[in-house]
Amino acid sequence: MENILELEHISKSFPKSNFMLDNLSFSLPYGTILGFVGENGAGKTTTIGCILNTIMKDSGTVRLFGQEMGDNDTELREKIGVVYDGDNFPGFWTAKQLSQIMEGFYSHWDNALFQKYLTDFGLPENQKIKHFSRGMSMKLAIAAALSHHPELLILDEATSGLDPIMRDEMLDIFLDFVQEENHSILLSSHITSDLEKVADYIAFIHNGRLILTAPKDDLIYHYAVLRCKESQFQALDRADILAFRKREFQIDVLVSDRKTAVKKYKDIIADHVSIDEIMLLLVKGESL
Amino acid sequence: MRGLMKNNFYATLSGAKILSVIMILIGVFLAVVISPPLLTNYIILGIILHSVSAVSVVKEEFTSKWGKYKLTLPVRRAEIIESQFLNQLLWMAVGTLLSAAVTALSWLLHGCPFDTWFDIVTAFVLGISLSLFTGAVYFPLFHLFFHSLGAERGDFFIVLCLGCAFIFDTIIVSLINYFVEPGVKNRLFGIVILLAVSATAYALSYPLTVRIFRRREY
Repeated sequence: MENILELEHISKSFPKSNFMLDNLSFSLPYGTILGFVGENGAGKTTTIGCILNTIMKDSGTVRLFGQEMGDNDTELREKIGVVYDGDNFPGFWTAKQLSQIMEGFYSHWDNALFQKYLTDFGLPENQKIKHFSRGMSMKLAIAAALSHHPELLILDEATSGLDPIMRDEMLDIFLDFVQEENHSILLSSHITSDLEKVADYIAFIHNGRLILTAPKDDLIYHYAVLRCKESQFQALDRADILAFRKREFQIDVLVSDRKTAVKKYKDIIADHVSIDEIMLLLVKGESL
Repeated sequence: MRGLMKNNFYATLSGAKILSVIMILIGVFLAVVISPPLLTNYIILGIILHSVSAVSVVKEEFTSKWGKYKLTLPVRRAEIIESQFLNQLLWMAVGTLLSAAVTALSWLLHGCPFDTWFDIVTAFVLGISLSLFTGAVYFPLFHLFFHSLGAERGDFFIVLCLGCAFIFDTIIVSLINYFVEPGVKNRLFGIVILLAVSATAYALSYPLTVRIFRRREY
């Protein structure tokens, strides 16, 4: 399967804050959604900045549609829709003005589609954006990102300001979007329940390092958490342990192969694990 | 470029609408009242204020994520800067036309409002020169220090740059007065020099700003 987006060994350091993206590599195949998960400050937005050239990487390669994107590659940016968390557009514009402006940027801007989204999302055309609620602003940004028929959507915490019902509607729109086999979405979020619903792949980032990338179904169906007592934990094969976290009365151990673990450790409870719990174990837990 | 120019135009229009209405009202008053010093100040201010309202748009863009968002659109960084410079020239032209209309109205009502036509030209050149110098200093400075000072302090930059423009103009006018003999021909030569120096500074500021902006991270 070909990839719409490929990151190879991306590094970027910020000496003033002591933060760095450390040798990040992952890819996003065509027709899929990749959930990019990590706590606040883990490096999600920095990674997206490196992909979109708003931040200059120190080293590594980013390939979009099979090629590296420089400042002059405007035709590549025609195929990308972006939504940032928060105020994407100046507050003194109206949705109508936004459409007129976007029409000047994108050769395939579809005003009829934009109007449809405005109607579907219940957004007023002539009200200034500064009077929009956070949820309305995010919906407007999603409408704008979709209305030039992009092939790749890059969404940085795009669902964070929305209520659960609206989030669900947006997720349906994202799923519709990837029905076209040449469409893909990079969805950065810390709302892991959203990713469980729509993502095909999950990439976990922590302190600027990618700690796990896997198909979502693998995580949900194959990964497991073993609830061990101290003595059981000591008896575990170290190679099976991805991460562990000591709790008050037990030790939670993340393993990548539930079936094998159940057979191998018959006296230990092996629970299915949510993405939330995987993230907690990987971020807050320890590894050997 | 069309999208960038539309974006800049709408952004400037939102602030310049009230300014234009106030300037038109004051202009009508000044056209009726005969006061050459007030009219001179009006001409200079009309050009500068419209120009500054265009310049301040850059700051507005970075108080939201729009400044960063624009980098993800199908435009080059150099085009973003080019559009900012062109937008300032456009609004400077609007201010110049407004000042010219008021001057023309005053002339129609009372005859030439100044001792010579040359005083009118001088006022316009001063307004244009101050605007050009303001933009020439502001654009590179804003993009250079945006990260350390923040977009919210853009107004401070504008005042600082206006101050620099006044200093530059004062120095150039003083030098012209020192080296050029009095006389209409020589004074005309002097304002051509003032205009040429400010236009050159503005032209040189563009590649410098592009160079700075290409390295900026958002």
